[in-house]
Amino acid sequence: MAYPYVSDHEVRVLSKHFGDPTQRRVDTYVERGGYSALKKAFDMGPEKVIDEVKASGLRGRGGAGFPTGVKWSFMPKESGKPHYLLCNADESEPGTFKDRELIRWDPHQLIEGCLIGAYAIGAKHVYIYCRGEFFEANSILARAVEDAYEKGYIGKDIMGSGNDLDLTVHQGAGAYICGEETGLMNSLEGRRGQPRVKPPFPAAVGAFGMPSTINNVETLAAVPHIVANGGDWYRGFGTEKSPGTKLFCVSGHVNRPGNYELPLGFPLMTLIEEVCGGMRDGNALKAVIPGGSSVPIINAEEAGRCTLDYEGCVDVGTMLGCASVIVMDETADVVKQVRRMVDFYAHESCGQCTPCREGSAWTAQILKRIEDGRGTEEDLDTLMEMTEQMVGTTICVLSDSVAAPVQSSIEKFRDEYLALIRRGERVGAA
Amino acid sequence: MAEMVNLTIDGHEVSVPKGTTILEAAKTIGTEVPHYCYHPGMSSPAMCRLCLVDVEGAPKPMPGCVTTVMDGQVVHTQSEQALKNRRGVLEFYLVNHPLDCPICDMSGECNLQDYVHAEGREHGRGREPKRIFGRDDFGGDVLFYGDRCVMCTRCVRFMSEVEQDHRLTVVERGNRSVIDTFFEEGLDGTHWHGNIVDICPVGALVSKDFLHKARAWDLTHSSSICTSCSQGCNIDLHTRDNLVQRIKPRENLDVNAWWICDYGRHNYEWINRGGRLEAPLVRSDDGSRAMGWGDALRALLEKAEGAGAVKAVASPMSSNEDLGALQALVNALGGGEIVYRSSRAEDEVPLKGFPGLARRADLTPNATGAELVGASRVGGDDATGGLEGVASHDGIVIVLNDALADQDEGFGSTAALFVYMGTHDSAAARRADLVLPISTHAEGEGTFTNHERRVQRFSKALDAPGMARPAWLVLGALAAEKGSGSAPRSAAEAFGALGGAVPAFAGISWDDVGTRGALLNESVSVTGD
Amino acid sequence: MSDIPFKNPGWAGNTGEFDLTEEQVRGDDFVGARPAHGGHASGAGTMPYMLADKQPEAPLFEGEYRDRLDKILTRYPTKQAALLPALGLAQEIRGHVSPASMDEVADALELSSAYVRGVATFYTMYNKRPVGRHLIQVCTNISCNLAGADDVVDAFLKYTDTELGETSEDGNFTVIEAECLAACGFPTCVQINSRYFENVTPSEVPKICEHLKAEGE
Repeated sequence: MAYPYVSDHEVRVLSKHFGDPTQRRVDTYVERGGYSALKKAFDMGPEKVIDEVKASGLRGRGGAGFPTGVKWSFMPKESGKPHYLLCNADESEPGTFKDRELIRWDPHQLIEGCLIGAYAIGAKHVYIYCRGEFFEANSILARAVEDAYEKGYIGKDIMGSGNDLDLTVHQGAGAYICGEETGLMNSLEGRRGQPRVKPPFPAAVGAFGMPSTINNVETLAAVPHIVANGGDWYRGFGTEKSPGTKLFCVSGHVNRPGNYELPLGFPLMTLIEEVCGGMRDGNALKAVIPGGSSVPIINAEEAGRCTLDYEGCVDVGTMLGCASVIVMDETADVVKQVRRMVDFYAHESCGQCTPCREGSAWTAQILKRIEDGRGTEEDLDTLMEMTEQMVGTTICVLSDSVAAPVQSSIEKFRDEYLALIRRGERVGAA
Repeated sequence: MAEMVNLTIDGHEVSVPKGTTILEAAKTIGTEVPHYCYHPGMSSPAMCRLCLVDVEGAPKPMPGCVTTVMDGQVVHTQSEQALKNRRGVLEFYLVNHPLDCPICDMSGECNLQDYVHAEGREHGRGREPKRIFGRDDFGGDVLFYGDRCVMCTRCVRFMSEVEQDHRLTVVERGNRSVIDTFFEEGLDGTHWHGNIVDICPVGALVSKDFLHKARAWDLTHSSSICTSCSQGCNIDLHTRDNLVQRIKPRENLDVNAWWICDYGRHNYEWINRGGRLEAPLVRSDDGSRAMGWGDALRALLEKAEGAGAVKAVASPMSSNEDLGALQALVNALGGGEIVYRSSRAEDEVPLKGFPGLARRADLTPNATGAELVGASRVGGDDATGGLEGVASHDGIVIVLNDALADQDEGFGSTAALFVYMGTHDSAAARRADLVLPISTHAEGEGTFTNHERRVQRFSKALDAPGMARPAWLVLGALAAEKGSGSAPRSAAEAFGALGGAVPAFAGISWDDVGTRGALLNESVSVTGD
Repeated sequence: MSDIPFKNPGWAGNTGEFDLTEEQVRGDDFVGARPAHGGHASGAGTMPYMLADKQPEAPLFEGEYRDRLDKILTRYPTKQAALLPALGLAQEIRGHVSPASMDEVADALELSSAYVRGVATFYTMYNKRPVGRHLIQVCTNISCNLAGADDVVDAFLKYTDTELGETSEDGNFTVIEAECLAACGFPTCVQINSRYFENVTPSEVPKICEHLKAEGE
């Protein structure tokens, strides 16, 4: 059967086998060349592996976009302490659904990437922290790990190389904040998943107090391909500053929502109009959130100028984030959607830092009151000023994420707010 | 010698050891950066976000409590940006705060009041209904008013890191988070939980004992030493209407850090006990007759002539000055022996997170002082018994500050002279010739010597009733009349006299003891336990 | 059949609404429910399941479940790190995490009960109260919201005759709102116990609920 969403524009590196259940079998994976990159990595040695990943320009696919090879090189060389590699599979950013697909369809690709990453940073144990809600994906992953152990791709003396590596699949329990790297480490250690103050950074003090590196699922899934084909090959896709391919998760008012793997730098409007089959019912585009709910909203004019790479998004005043493109057409109720997003942040705030704990809930309350037609224009000033106090003043950036949709929507869709405030009118339907 | 770092804070040059945080460095120039969650005795989570300071060159404001100083750093705690940050954070604190100062015990000593008054917004903008948590009884002495809580988690961290009995936790997350115990388990069975009331920056955690008792601004603070065991925790007595209203620990990193145990904290009622002896009494078969001090002491000295050897009962609740003066008098009267009784518990109750601090087994403040002046311990661990020799003595019997609660009316009936000096009368003093009123430690100055031979000063917190006087004044005057030195006119002089008589005290002066205490010379050996 | 043209071959199984059977989606090798003893230690901490059949009085760490906890403990350098999996196991067996369960988990891992309470209440997935046989979690976050998730919630509430968070009279259903379930391309996504139902529209709600009742699972 064909996977629901395929487009000619796609460059299917990571998503090549989406839709093929046989890919989950370790034998099939190996037949198709699997675990040969791991072998090659062992032959190259850890330093060369890091160099190759640096050369590829791979940037963290979890939202921060930090160069992966550089991150790996932060690990201490002679600490004498156990190192850990953590794979962040706690995908909870609204609009994002790529990691779940990667784990469901190609678990061994992720496993191989984890093993190579662990080897490169001198770690002997990998923890894949999976979101608690992903029962199916975790079943598949756990089975794949078990098979890999059985066939000797994980465990002692892997493929006769003399290298030992262990992997544990750890399940979360429903907290968006555990997707933050230090929140994840706290959760892994059996604590409340609250982010830690940095410094110290994870490469110095991470999981269990030991040097650790944490990478997103998509980042690690790209690693076997980079090791197998070389960093230069990877640079053949995308742009100079944002090389490689990216899984774009498109949702909202398009005809064909779904995951599409495209080279970075792809124009946003081409994605919407050609890859996704255009706007639903032919409606006009009103707003796009190109990188998951934590990035500023852009209007149709800005969307027209936006290319989907890290720099291109910054140029139009937003960020690429995890490349989850949420498309809203003229029927969308911006105020309602912003309120729903802020409700999400208020629900998920860990509660440590006062600006976020109080500010997210207060913002949600004000927005609800505006949505119910009982807002004032003063409220808009309060929202702008108050969310400004939530930017840069907290331990993690969940607080900043509240400010992004609120400030960008008040700036660009003020008329929708005013319609509710002055006339109690909703501009959109959904 | 630690490596020093030079930086500028608010235009002042500051030089501190490497590794110091900006907040601590600011303290050295007298700048207190507002903060809630930071406490020097516990870990620093940097979560209240109130201590954010402006550091030139940094991309965003830095939390002063965890950011370590760097050479050449330029820090602003009062810049427009820093003030704006604090105003913003304080606004967030007030979004759900009930502002119930009129009924909140913390009013007048509340960090939220003080900070908001100094740097907060003048008018609140919150129009939304506030979340309600209500009042929760945590057990022990603690009530929790959840609505006032600023979620600094000092209380959680104290129980988990300092007492090391993890009884408190944050429940839920986000703005639903609240401090709670494990359901009904509460704080019962812990021994240091009273400290969480001290460290709570607002009125969320309050003491049941102090609930609605007195207003903070009506209280006078006097430094003192706890008398409940031989640890000698430094405290402040908070008084009003000439009564002790509560005890708060005073910082002394060599003795008790910032802490005091629950037993000591609540053991102050006895200081307030009424029914005090207020005048010197001469007692005979016809009853008691009050008289002035001069007459009473002259009568005493008359009777003491040729009356024989002295057997004295002293008290480890008495100060070094009192005990020293007693010893001087005993010697001046021709010599004798001094005994004392004291309560002891079966074991110590240590504070695991601060080694060296424990509720000691010796439940008195100055047993060491008593031993040093040559007194011996008698009787049981319940402070009874051991006085058979004194009770039937035929010479001079002096009882200082021991209520003789377990003794009968025949006590001292065969004595040539029986002098009872105490704060309250006793049935066993029925046969006393003279009953002299003395003041408690809280009603004057003096020193105690704790279990590790540290001499510490306490100051006057209350006025003594009627004609009650410090024991050292009375005994010192008597000793002087018998030719032993001059009568001390102050506790300092009495302490100096003590140094002249007891080798252990020879090495330190009243000024040496100061406000932090001083250890006695280790090389002087002392008899006793 | 629904009129959404593209469905993600999800795990909802053959409710008659999807083009593929569960077996076809999973392939022959799908492991299904995790054995009580946890299988290989590397995955023993995963998939504490949300089962329809709950035994609130069952012992927690005995027999095969004890084996599973022991396997989990071998994977971490501290006992404390096994706390989330242990709480998940308690929920798998008993259906929710009660104060008594927190106490037992605290004993098993040598942690204080207050600490375990603090951790258990931090995470959304640990039910603090008993729930119906089927916990229906409807995502109403932005992507599903744009596709009418609120109407799906209303449809479930109407069918089960409950308020949000309430358990239906027959004990079968509890309906709650969930945050983004990471199926945004297939709105509206509904998680029922351990399974995802994707592309759900209000008209399909009665069929899904009937199917669940009939399954008895």
